[in-house]
Amino acid sequence: MRVDMQTLYLVVPLAPLFGAIVAGLFGRLVGRTGAHVVTIAGVAVSFIASVLVFQDVLAGHTFNGTIYTWMTLGDLRFEVGFLIDALTAMMMLVVTFVSLMVHVYTIGYMHDDPGYQRFFSYISLFTFSMLMLVMSNNFLQLFFGWEAVGLVSYLLIGFWYTKETAIYANLKAFLVNRVGDFGFILGIGLVLAHFGSLDYATVFAKAPSLASETITLWPDTPWMLMSVIGILLFIGAMGKSAQFPLHVWLPDSMEGPTPISALIHAATMVTAGIFMVARMSPLYELSDTALSFIMVIGAITALFMGFLGMVQNDIKRVVAYSTLSQLGYMTVALGASAYSVAVFHLMTHAFFKALLFLAAGSVIIAMHHNQDIRYMGGLKKYMPITWVTSLIGSLALIGTPFLSGFYSKESIIEAAKMSHLPGAGFAYFAVLAGVFVTAFYSFRMYFLVFHGKERFHQGHGHGNEPDAHHGHDGPPHETPWVVTGPLLALALPSLAIGYMTIEPMLFGDFFGRAIYVADRHPVMHELNQEFHGAMEMGLHALATLPFWLAVAGVGLSAFFYLKRPDIPAAIAQRFSFLHRMLLNKYWFDELYSWVFAKGARALGGSLWRRGDQNVIDGFFVNGSAHLVERFSRLVRAFQSGYIYHYAFAMLIGVFALVTWFARLN
Amino acid sequence: MRHALMQFAPAFPEIFVLIMISLILVVDAAVDDGKRFLAYFLSLVTLAGASFLTLRDFSTLPVLTLGGLFIDDPLSDVLKLFLYLSVAIVLVYSRDYLRQRGLYKGEFFVLALFALLGMMVMVSASHFLTLYLGLELLSLSLYAMVALQRDSSVATEAAMKYFVLGALASGMLLYGMSMVYGVTGSLGLGDIAIALQDGTDLRIPLVFGIVFIVAGLAFKLGAVPFHMWIPDVYHGAPTAMTLFIGSAPKIAAFAFVIRILGQGLESQVSDWRGMLVILAVLSMALGNIAAIAQSNLKRMLAYSAISHMGFMLLGILAGSQNGYGSAMFYVLVYALMSLGGFGMILLLSRAGFEADRLEDFKGLNRRSPWLAFMMLLLMFSMAGVPPTVGFYAKLSVLQAVVEIGYVWLAVAAVLFSLIGAFYYLRIVKLMYFDAPHDAAPIKASPDARVVMSVNGLAILALGIMPQPLMAVCIHAIRASF
Amino acid sequence: MTYTTAIFYFFASILVFAGLRVITARNPVHAALYLVLAFFTAAGLWMLLEAEFLAITLVLVYVGAVMVLFLFVVMMLDINLEKLREGFWDYLPLAGFVAVLLVIEMALILGSRHFGLEVMGAPAPHAADYSNTKELGRVLYTEYVYAFELAAVILLVAIVAAIALTLRRRKDSKYIDPAEQVKVKRNDRLRIVKMQATQKPGAGEDGA
Repeated sequence: MRVDMQTLYLVVPLAPLFGAIVAGLFGRLVGRTGAHVVTIAGVAVSFIASVLVFQDVLAGHTFNGTIYTWMTLGDLRFEVGFLIDALTAMMMLVVTFVSLMVHVYTIGYMHDDPGYQRFFSYISLFTFSMLMLVMSNNFLQLFFGWEAVGLVSYLLIGFWYTKETAIYANLKAFLVNRVGDFGFILGIGLVLAHFGSLDYATVFAKAPSLASETITLWPDTPWMLMSVIGILLFIGAMGKSAQFPLHVWLPDSMEGPTPISALIHAATMVTAGIFMVARMSPLYELSDTALSFIMVIGAITALFMGFLGMVQNDIKRVVAYSTLSQLGYMTVALGASAYSVAVFHLMTHAFFKALLFLAAGSVIIAMHHNQDIRYMGGLKKYMPITWVTSLIGSLALIGTPFLSGFYSKESIIEAAKMSHLPGAGFAYFAVLAGVFVTAFYSFRMYFLVFHGKERFHQGHGHGNEPDAHHGHDGPPHETPWVVTGPLLALALPSLAIGYMTIEPMLFGDFFGRAIYVADRHPVMHELNQEFHGAMEMGLHALATLPFWLAVAGVGLSAFFYLKRPDIPAAIAQRFSFLHRMLLNKYWFDELYSWVFAKGARALGGSLWRRGDQNVIDGFFVNGSAHLVERFSRLVRAFQSGYIYHYAFAMLIGVFALVTWFARLN
Repeated sequence: MRHALMQFAPAFPEIFVLIMISLILVVDAAVDDGKRFLAYFLSLVTLAGASFLTLRDFSTLPVLTLGGLFIDDPLSDVLKLFLYLSVAIVLVYSRDYLRQRGLYKGEFFVLALFALLGMMVMVSASHFLTLYLGLELLSLSLYAMVALQRDSSVATEAAMKYFVLGALASGMLLYGMSMVYGVTGSLGLGDIAIALQDGTDLRIPLVFGIVFIVAGLAFKLGAVPFHMWIPDVYHGAPTAMTLFIGSAPKIAAFAFVIRILGQGLESQVSDWRGMLVILAVLSMALGNIAAIAQSNLKRMLAYSAISHMGFMLLGILAGSQNGYGSAMFYVLVYALMSLGGFGMILLLSRAGFEADRLEDFKGLNRRSPWLAFMMLLLMFSMAGVPPTVGFYAKLSVLQAVVEIGYVWLAVAAVLFSLIGAFYYLRIVKLMYFDAPHDAAPIKASPDARVVMSVNGLAILALGIMPQPLMAVCIHAIRASF
Repeated sequence: MTYTTAIFYFFASILVFAGLRVITARNPVHAALYLVLAFFTAAGLWMLLEAEFLAITLVLVYVGAVMVLFLFVVMMLDINLEKLREGFWDYLPLAGFVAVLLVIEMALILGSRHFGLEVMGAPAPHAADYSNTKELGRVLYTEYVYAFELAAVILLVAIVAAIALTLRRRKDSKYIDPAEQVKVKRNDRLRIVKMQATQKPGAGEDGA
């Protein structure tokens, strides 16, 4: 039985890999249909296997073992291994399910794209990488999965590589993630140096004994080892999960095709950081500093990225900023030691955010790839399925009682309230205010797209595109079933999954030993005492502040964008500085390009005002390239083609060796 | 001793190859131009037969025979099998190329098999005499192969350079051997090792001899400063010959070095280690840096060969069984990569066109995604990018160097290979991101394509599962020392 | 200084001188003759080492056969050594400098201090009835038969290579093959072409 399970574990990541290889390398051979059939089959097999694994885990079987030893170097073993427990099984289920939906949806969305097979290959490859990351039982495989996920996402963001903005976004994602990865690899290095192992189980077992260890980063300031490791690893998570201030890449990554936005930037890749911190809970529990840091970063992201969503006009960007904000919520939960709540929100969010993205994609198809919500409106009657599913998604997102988002979000707010770490007060305020903001921007988008006047016959953003004149003639119509099918399939869990699973996931022993919470952080315990069943929680919410904040947000946006569209414009004019600040995303892009492009030079100039600048710029930067080139040319000069030059070189070599070894020794 | 003298059985593969060469000579002289495939076919049969004989009598313990000139041990058997394999791959890759250039003649196959015989002799040598004779047999065949395209002045010039410099190197090698003979009074590697076991009073002349031997070996490997023939010969020779020179002889040269330094002069490791350190550092530096400036792929791969041999030397200079094992792993992997790299040039070439400039690889992905992917794997492996096998090969030799405490050497090696990664990745960039320079369809024969696919995928498969091959290498070294 | 030592130095100095002249002589015939001299003196040295058979073979084979052939080739072909050695004198100072250094170094290492009779000891001379020739013959076909066969294979490679590189049918030289002459048929020599007696009108106008 156990042997069979191991094969099953292997099937989960390898089935999508197989699909990716077939679609990628033999794309021309198998054709478009072949490509989507084989990749969808691969992901479907993977999904079914995940379901089986999940049932097995529910039955109490966990697994931690090496599948394959890649290489051995001295005492260090590089292995491919799986750690299958409740956390992993749940992630596998979410990843494969959302991926399956996205695969099906892609058939419709990418229908006319010349890179059809390539696209399927990439998303399957992405699924494989994500599964390897999630199922890993050691840091090395985690890192490889981490990098592979990153790599594929760059490929996907830059999928339309002829598009200038896509290439720019691609580069940005790459650079920002490098910063995160740098922290991450430093963290792994520290783990290896102090624990002597990269295996999760070994490291976690040894962690308590190193809890009070300190290291000295610079003289006279000892640091808690666990805090340093925790913060470094979290810097990696900040890159992947787009936390402030490494969030800048995510909105730009909307340049990729919409299915990717749904798969990567809503449901899977960005959650890698959250998952990693939850997985490392035995390490994080040892450091209040790291937890506090995480909570504050999360709170900043949750609130301030939400503000940005209020002024965006690109339908996908609105959803992207809402993703950032929701990731901030999860991070706050992590910081409050409510790991299971974070993972719970991760799951519910994956469903409704994928739903929202795919619905946005559906709208974009109907609008002939115009993404500006100012030129939409009144789509409700043309696209009933998209409309209903979008409404469900939005309601879930803002935390309407009894929908899935409500349970997870409410729990996070409660967790922040009960945490006693430094920064918890700010975090509580941020997540509470975030509720209002979320409700406002979500329904702003919803009203602008589906209600109000039909504005899509008015001027549009890109009328000079070749398909524009015939595309905008007829009324928009509902998209084909391959698009709406996944929407419906995702709408169901968005409605009900929270209600169904909150009890076992948060307060039952579903996670068992997968997540460890120290007794010093009794947040979950306190939450449990206030919890009296899912139904009770929903009813009780009607009398709490978050609910009314959400209602206020919806009401305000309805008033602004349905009744009096002139008011937002007036406000924008009155508070033009704030408006500009939000439109320019707090000028982070400008800051970064200024800091990195000019800052380095400015720093060099002020510190070493004179000659030394030449040393840095002239020698280390340009110089090494010049040196290589000059050396290269020198070698070419020696490579004259004359035999006697060559023979002479040989003799000189012998002479030098004789002199060196026979005479001097 | 007298009785074991005529024990021919361990040398059956050599004898078989020689008989087949004679047969091919006769058969090829008797048939007309239309039936040249007979020689091709018979050559492949020879390789298959030799593989069968070697496998059948795979030795578990070293057997010394034929007057102590010949040794049959696991090391030689494993290396011979890889020699057959790489010669067979060369034959398959180069068939169309040779036919298009009027080189598809019995002589090519006969000379290739003679060269193979020379390599087999070297691999199985336990005596300075056989080492030298095997080397000459190999070298002479190679000189002739390079010159085989008579109407090409570049090839003739390359052959001339190879011949003259090779003769000089042989002279140095002989001189060094005679010094060692003078010191130890014997030519057999086993006897030399015994004579030097407890040190010698004649250390200075011995070191002097070792310098000359190392110089001769370095020439064969192409280590700096004895490397200068490599770019010119690789570039000037017809690509099929370059393919041959760049693959199997490297394996033989490894055996040569291991036999002399590792077995014969084992006790003098502290003397030759220093020399190999210098050669290795210079080779890695010069090879990697000079390769950047090349616009011709054959020339670039020539410099890359120099740097790879520098890397391989790292394993040998470790002087430990682990080191020898990882060097063996490295050289086998290198032969595989080199076969793929030069083979790709052959596959993309056609009558009257050599695909040996870098720009000929522009946009290969659009012309043939599969071949481009194979080339990507090869280039990644040469650069040492995981999960290809090149990464593991580099890692294992570095490990061997670190074990003996030469951390600075490992750091330098990593640094140079980082520089080297640049020019390999440039090819990947050309293939995937540039527009094709040449739109003609690729006319590689199906069998060559299949072999190329196996070759490329082997790079990947070995990278994912390096342990079996590594285990074979370590076992061969352990059982033969 | 013993008698044999004196002979050794006599032969050795002539050998070195002859060797130098081989590469410096301007006339190729002179160079070849100096090579002959070098062989002779080398044979003398081998005699001193009690390798009589080898010494005689050197004279017989190299001087008697190889060098005579060589001389013929040199005389028949008009080789301009001067052109081949272009730049020789330009490079001489540097090359000579390195050569001198190398010689000094070798002399220091291989001098009597490290490698002389005091350290090594001379091998005992053989008895008068010891036959170098017989001994060579015996080991060549027993102990060293493998090496001997390999040498034969190398010669075979040399033959194959020489033929492969030089054999070609020259188009510009005329030669007669009697076998071809005998086999000739009438149709090979004569072709009968049927033509009309008169040209069709307008046939010649194509060229106009």
